[in-house]
Amino acid sequence: MRRRRELSDRQLGVLFLLPFVVLSLGFVVYPALDAIRLAFHSKLPFRNSFTFVGLDNFRYLRDDPVFWAAAWQSCVWTGASIVLQTVFGVAIALLLHQAVRGINVFRGLLLFPYMVPTVVIALIWRWMFNPELGIVNAVLKGSGLVRGEVYWLSDPTWAMVSTILLNVWKFTPFVVICVLARLQTIPVEIVEAAQVDGAGAWRRFLHITLPQLKAVLAVVVVFRTIWTFNKFEEIYLLTRGGPGTSTFNLAVYAFEQATANLKLGVAAATGVVMLTLLFAGSVFYLRLIRQQEAV
Amino acid sequence: MTRATRRRLRAGGVYAALLVVTLVMCFPLLWAVLTSVRPNDEMLSVRLVPQRVTDAHYRALLTGRSMYFEAGAGTYRASTAPSQHFLSWFANSTLVTLATTVLSVAVSTLAAYSVTRFRFPGQSFAPYFSLLGYMTPSIVFVFPLFVTIVALGLADRLPSLVLGYLSITLPFSLWLMWAFLRSIPLEVEEAALIDGASRFQVFRLIVIPLAVPGIVATAIFSFIVAWNDYLIARIFINSITQLPLTVGVMHFFEGTHVDWGLMMAAAVLITLPLAVLFMFVQRQLVVGFGAGAVKG
Repeated sequence: MRRRRELSDRQLGVLFLLPFVVLSLGFVVYPALDAIRLAFHSKLPFRNSFTFVGLDNFRYLRDDPVFWAAAWQSCVWTGASIVLQTVFGVAIALLLHQAVRGINVFRGLLLFPYMVPTVVIALIWRWMFNPELGIVNAVLKGSGLVRGEVYWLSDPTWAMVSTILLNVWKFTPFVVICVLARLQTIPVEIVEAAQVDGAGAWRRFLHITLPQLKAVLAVVVVFRTIWTFNKFEEIYLLTRGGPGTSTFNLAVYAFEQATANLKLGVAAATGVVMLTLLFAGSVFYLRLIRQQEAV
Repeated sequence: MTRATRRRLRAGGVYAALLVVTLVMCFPLLWAVLTSVRPNDEMLSVRLVPQRVTDAHYRALLTGRSMYFEAGAGTYRASTAPSQHFLSWFANSTLVTLATTVLSVAVSTLAAYSVTRFRFPGQSFAPYFSLLGYMTPSIVFVFPLFVTIVALGLADRLPSLVLGYLSITLPFSLWLMWAFLRSIPLEVEEAALIDGASRFQVFRLIVIPLAVPGIVATAIFSFIVAWNDYLIARIFINSITQLPLTVGVMHFFEGTHVDWGLMMAAAVLITLPLAVLFMFVQRQLVVGFGAGAVKG
């Protein structure tokens, strides 16, 4: 005997998927496609003017020295951040891998920065790196390392350094988590065997641990590079891209074009450039994965 | 040197290194807490722990009346920071974050169940779509998204933020729930179906309890995205009373004077819910990280 007729599996499947599909089409797919369309149009915010301009927005980028400066600064920012994050991340992960009492407390404390909102970090950074009142300059002057103030946020070079430090501080825990997870799967026997054979700590790291970490590090570096390259808040909230345009990256450049210059088309074209680079990065990533699977 | 001494020395070295690293990593947060309880007339001293502890900054935030100490004139003056809105910003952030978390979990769990259990054309596309959404930077689609929000008449209203955050969390939540539900064996469900349970009963009584770790990871991820966002709220919201905390506190920099005690008290209060969450879910967080519950 059958109970009341239920929905068929197929109907139920569609019903379950429906909210996701509607929200995704409306608020993810459509805006993304619209961003690409916008790159070939000229549009002012709050106006209905919408004219096709072909490649004009891209020509604008080609002829704008600020765009090229922003692209270069993106590379500097990303490169320095990734190198420092990876080195610190691996070092801290090795430290947190040690089996000592109370290690979980340290693990917790060292992972927490990853959850702290960028706005909060920017507030704290602006306070600590304040030239007259900040603790950083006070300590540097007190220890006699520098004379006078270091203008952390208003000198072009130091402003770049400050944003890199902020980024490294926030995202080193990300590298730590990934590396630590991998470290815990390395069989203890291999390490012990090397120890018995008389390999020192440094050689054990170089010849046993590091090769085991190669795969996870490759993935982490590619992902972090893609994300770091496109970061907006980590720079904008600390320096607003300044002084001048000296800490602009492509995301800040796009934001300024859209909000200050009201050139939504140029902002969208910058976005398309970013997406193209992102796509290239993803293809590179997929190849890397396939290579590793083949080995 | 005996083995025991060597081991003890090694543990000592590990602890020393751990302490130094932890101190460096936690110092910014520690300094924010210490500044938030430091009286205004001690602001210029580099002494680690303030001589007197004050709750004036927190009181100023919660009552909306903030004062700052003008060293040159030797008096207290009313601050220009719009701290009277702090509590409504806090309420806005809480409301929007909870709504985003609940919707994100509900929508993605249903969708992931559908994709992993039923067959229909185009379903293999779902994980790829997720990866794409996972990688696309918000700055690319925030302006076109705003055009849609304006067309819907939602600009400058809190629901617009929920929709904006869902556009970030949904692709990734689907991927996460898809990975978790795929790993739950079908046999139990099939047995229950044969015994006469309906699909809804199977979903509610068997699948949901088994999927709890995935649901927790998705919820944490969505919570962090919504609570921490600045960009989307900055574009979508205009009225000062409708802002979430992140965009609101940046208004404290307007005006001629920056009230650092007030600022750090705000920083501490914004971080507090995350710290509480972190204490409860630290273990699940690591599980979630293992499954790829990260973006940043």
